Amino acid sequence: MNWQNVKLIFLREVRDQLRDRRTLFMVAVLPLLLYPALGLGMFAMIGNFAEQPRTVVVLGERHLPPPQLLDGGRFVSNWFSNPDDASKLMVVTDTAVELGGGGLNASRNLQLIKQAQELRKLVEQHTSLADELKQAEAEQQERQKDLAAQAEQSPAVLQQRIQQIKHNLAAIDRELTGLFAASQIQVLIVIPDGLRENIERVNRLIAERNTAEGSDLSYPRPTIVKNRADDKSVVAYKRVREVLDAWEGEILRQRLSDLGLPKELPNPVGSAPLDLAAEAQISASFWSKMFPALLVIMAVTGAFYPAVDVAAGEKERGTMETLLVCPATRTEIVLGKFFTVMCFSMSTALLNLLSIGATGKYMLSNPGNGMLAQSGGIALPSVAALAWLLILLIPLSALFSALCLALATFAHSSKEGQYYLTPLLMVSIGMTVFCMSPGIEIYPVHQASWFYSVIPVVNIALLLKTLLLDPSNTDALIFAGPVLATSIGYSLLALWWAIEQFSSEGVLFRDGERFEPGLWIKHLLRDKEPTPTFTEAGFCFVLIMLAQFATLKTFGQTITSVSQDQMGVQMLKVLVISQISVIACPALFMALILTTNIRQSLRLRLPDWKFLGAAVVLPLVLYPLVVELTASLTWFFPPLSEGAVRVIKSMSDGNQPLWLIVVAFAVAPAICEELAFRGFILTGFCRNGRTRLAIVLSALTFGVMHMIPQQVFTTTLVGLVLGLIAVRSRSLIPGVVFHFLFNSMSILRERVSTHLSAGHAEEFQLSFWSSFATLEGGLRFTWLTLLICGAAASACLWWVWQAGRAKVTSETGEGLFPNGLVPVKHQHPTCVS
Amino acid sequence: MISVQHLTKGFDDLRRGWVAALDHVSFEVRPGEIFGLLGPNGAGKTTCLRILSTVLRPSSGTATVSGFDVVTHPTEVRKRIGFMSNNTGIYDRMTAWEMAEYYGRLYGLPEDVLKVRLEQLFDTLQMNDFRDTLGAKMSTGMKQKASIARAIVHDPPVIIFDEPTCGLDVLVARKVLAIVQSLKDQGKCIIFSTHIMREVEKLCDRIAIIHKGTILAMGTLPELQEEHHQPDTEELFFDLIERHDEQCRTTQSEFRLANS
Repeated sequence: MNWQNVKLIFLREVRDQLRDRRTLFMVAVLPLLLYPALGLGMFAMIGNFAEQPRTVVVLGERHLPPPQLLDGGRFVSNWFSNPDDASKLMVVTDTAVELGGGGLNASRNLQLIKQAQELRKLVEQHTSLADELKQAEAEQQERQKDLAAQAEQSPAVLQQRIQQIKHNLAAIDRELTGLFAASQIQVLIVIPDGLRENIERVNRLIAERNTAEGSDLSYPRPTIVKNRADDKSVVAYKRVREVLDAWEGEILRQRLSDLGLPKELPNPVGSAPLDLAAEAQISASFWSKMFPALLVIMAVTGAFYPAVDVAAGEKERGTMETLLVCPATRTEIVLGKFFTVMCFSMSTALLNLLSIGATGKYMLSNPGNGMLAQSGGIALPSVAALAWLLILLIPLSALFSALCLALATFAHSSKEGQYYLTPLLMVSIGMTVFCMSPGIEIYPVHQASWFYSVIPVVNIALLLKTLLLDPSNTDALIFAGPVLATSIGYSLLALWWAIEQFSSEGVLFRDGERFEPGLWIKHLLRDKEPTPTFTEAGFCFVLIMLAQFATLKTFGQTITSVSQDQMGVQMLKVLVISQISVIACPALFMALILTTNIRQSLRLRLPDWKFLGAAVVLPLVLYPLVVELTASLTWFFPPLSEGAVRVIKSMSDGNQPLWLIVVAFAVAPAICEELAFRGFILTGFCRNGRTRLAIVLSALTFGVMHMIPQQVFTTTLVGLVLGLIAVRSRSLIPGVVFHFLFNSMSILRERVSTHLSAGHAEEFQLSFWSSFATLEGGLRFTWLTLLICGAAASACLWWVWQAGRAKVTSETGEGLFPNGLVPVKHQHPTCVS
Repeated sequence: MISVQHLTKGFDDLRRGWVAALDHVSFEVRPGEIFGLLGPNGAGKTTCLRILSTVLRPSSGTATVSGFDVVTHPTEVRKRIGFMSNNTGIYDRMTAWEMAEYYGRLYGLPEDVLKVRLEQLFDTLQMNDFRDTLGAKMSTGMKQKASIARAIVHDPPVIIFDEPTCGLDVLVARKVLAIVQSLKDQGKCIIFSTHIMREVEKLCDRIAIIHKGTILAMGTLPELQEEHHQPDTEELFFDLIERHDEQCRTTQSEFRLANS
């Protein structure tokens, strides 16, 4: 590695980017202009588009009881919590119009009142019909009760009447809605005649303590007409409600004082909130929600455009080959470009944050800004918080830069490159939305799991969220280690991928030939090769995952539709079917259609018996190790949901027939998963000549397929061993044997645990076996067992690693074509083909 | 200097399936010699030269430049060749001087040597009047000159020109050919690919006629003319290609007959 070259390329790329108007605009000018411009826009909006007054019509003003509710064309301002709001409601009353008030608006007001009166008529009809309906329905219920006794009037007639009323009601409602929408009225308040007298009458009755049965306390109440589907009406109604509530409260207090009762009477509890948030904490909480999300999105966009320019743009402008013929290696070129992209990603993120911070601060400090000032004086984050922001920005930018660079290298042109931004941005936004959701923390205490601290992007965003909330939080610092380590790991992986992309001839010299699906399918079927290609293997995995997604519903239905005791058997059956249809079928199908040599594609050949021996010994010695490893990592993974635990228990408990459990958990996975993952997928991955990478990739796909984090971890490890055996023995059979035995061990352990804990525990503890295993919530293995197993497993694995090696290398010509070698059948001249 | 043995390169094509762009191509080029690679478009010239410049990897066969294998020691090979083709464009946002300087540094020239070399190069190529012009603003001729300067800034012993006069007017093309000639006089080992007969006649010491990935004939021009009894180079070229296509068609029909 010549760092001088990396530096040279980096400096050139940076200069090149700085000379590019588009990049400069995206990275520097846009953030500096955008936020102040947005701020300016907000000022203008607040200034010019102040809330328009909404029209409220009050019919029957003269029947309003004291205290005064209306004052001219408005509500009295002291009923509002913010007296300024009084100007936001324009009140038109029938009394004022009758008196000829309203000045310039007289004719409009007159019309409003007319409309309101029409509405009032309809409202009254609506009320009476609704009452009638209620009566009729009550009658119907009554009748149904003693239907058996006697049926004088047939229920059908009553039913008909109800239908008729409902029909009329609907018609009136339609008319009412139409009329209300056509009017300029947002809220209509109808005060019934004699409201004031009625309230006074009732007040008197109460004062005389004459509220016993028989005295008439009921009277017609006002109606407020609004339309919930109309935003203007909703806003106006909210204010009217506030006013009326405050006003009614005053009437109530008046009533209480007349009676000589304390004002506190209606509030026996009257709880008062105590907000402990200090001002600094409020702003910290604000920033902790805002900055991680912004940082992620800015780091992506900041990385993306330069990445497209330095990779796809270089191809497009025809300078890629110029660069490739210089002495710098591909790795040096990619590193140089990577540092450029990262540099721009970080500057974009920082400039954006700075600009947002400055604009926000300026806007909030402006005293004339009523609405924003309510959000409180938000202080800028502390220096410590900003330092964390900077530190965590580095791995974040590194990850996105490498990722964008790999994508951009793959793209044939800048335009194609831009298309890849959307999915990347969508995924990032999804992740940030997840991180911003309240309650999501880097260390969810209720789950006690470190899982979030190893998920890319999410871990950084969550750590930043915690640290911005409280920069002195030393508890969170223990997560900085894993977060930084895994983030750097992911970045290196992404970088490795970018270098891979850059070293691939197919990617660098992808011709711009028009892509025709028909032609491509024809090509796939016509130019079949003996074994699957890398891409076909990858596609097989995608197919399996999609099929799995599609069957999720079936599992859910089985769980909900079947009774508790039936669930286990049903689930086991569904499991077997899904193993065959979801995992084995795609692989078999693809092997059948896309390859010429199915036996070779799926490794269907008899192995050396020694490998069979290894496949029998290995699961037995590996199983205790895996069990203990999983048990020792429970602190890391999020616990399974209770529902999932119940389903798993129901499938594997002693009530289910043993043969079904063995078939579902051992036989079916051993055959189906091996066919797919060690057969089709591993063979395909091996095609590019890098066996170790192929084994790792097949193990990863195998792990990911299991979806539950704990299982993903263990199955990936087991997948590595299975892949190694499959490659070395060049056969599927040892893998099937291994897989079957390994899964059977799991069933056996479950059974033995149940058996022993059911009354045989003491006997077991006294026996010879107690030095190998103990009973602690299931059979657990002692250090002695682990030592023996570890030694045996290492020896066995070492043998497998060595044994097949010579054989595989000497026979490569026969089976798998090493990188780029043209298959024999293609070596005739072109014109013959 | 350059030795190519049974070089084969195949690639996957949607329409035609597997295609051999190069099929067992072998030749050697000595220092102080211009070796002409003559062939129609799509003959495999560019693929062959790309393998020599280590940008592509051969499917099989070997190629060495100054004794270094292109597959096992690509960096050493790249240090020793100057490579120029239609696909090695120049940077739009760099001036001619910056471009040559950048490549000089990438080739590891010390700053003082580089400075002297650049001045000399800009003089001999007559590039001083546009040394501070950005690539985007250059004319095609200027670009070609800047490209040549970029390719030979490190004074490589082996130089590969892939259709260097393509798209140039007569005046500029003439200048480019003169530069190639003067490089030969300096004792460089040069591969010159083209589809223009005149250039071959004028420049090349030995030529190879390549078509559909195979070399149809190789030798000095007089040797070839004598061997195929055809004094006219252009006719010679056509004859060879026609004959090869004819052969292919017969094999193809035989192939079909055998299959049916």
